[in-house]
Amino acid sequence: MNIGTRAHGDVTVVAFVGNLDSRTSPEAQQAIDGILAGGARKLVVDFTALDYISSAGLRVLLGTAKRLSGSGGALRLCGLNETVREVFDISGFSRILAVFATEADALAGF
Amino acid sequence: MRPGFRMTIGDEPGGVARAAAAFAGFAEAHALPDAVRRSLQIALDELLRNAVAYGSPGPAGGEVTVEVALDPDRVTATVTDNGRPFDPFGVAAPDTTLGVEERRIGGLGIHLVREMMDEVSYQRRGDRNVVTLVKSLAEGSP
Repeated sequence: MNIGTRAHGDVTVVAFVGNLDSRTSPEAQQAIDGILAGGARKLVVDFTALDYISSAGLRVLLGTAKRLSGSGGALRLCGLNETVREVFDISGFSRILAVFATEADALAGF
Repeated sequence: MRPGFRMTIGDEPGGVARAAAAFAGFAEAHALPDAVRRSLQIALDELLRNAVAYGSPGPAGGEVTVEVALDPDRVTATVTDNGRPFDPFGVAAPDTTLGVEERRIGGLGIHLVREMMDEVSYQRRGDRNVVTLVKSLAEGSP
């Protein structure tokens, strides 16, 4: 999978391209580990180019949210397609994670 | 004969990726709607990962077969393994109302499968676990 990162002030935006499943989640975990090790505390995960996510990807997101909230940071998500949104609704992640429509919405007031 | 494919993977991790690629090719060849294709890709990832991770009967080597068939109104996927008897749908659904700190991920994959498919079933046939998934091609199905 392709993973792109960019900075907006003190917010790091990480964009995942492709899918987050049992095969690709280790790469995603590694990328996020690197970002957090670099000191990032505000993270926006951009799913605009994400096709689908399985529980392996949800595990990465949950772990990231826990680590960030434990260090005074926060995780926001944006750009979920219909299927990713459905997975979030079924799993209850829509209620426990901060989901925004667009990157601009996610960055606003972060 | 119905369009579809059948492949057997071992219990090596790369097998799940091979099956996923085969399904993606099948979905593209038959122009499955995105929502149907993605739901099945998620369901297969959950079930194949479970089967490969927990289904292996030991050093003799596990064997997981995935079979996909297309009918005018539905896609049927069957995942068979020769692991110990295990009904994935016999596990209680996780509590999806807990907060970030309390949440555990266990059981969530099968919960997704159950909710995203139109029909799921489990059978023990001889020394095999057989899980069947049906995804309807009709508009408005879950």
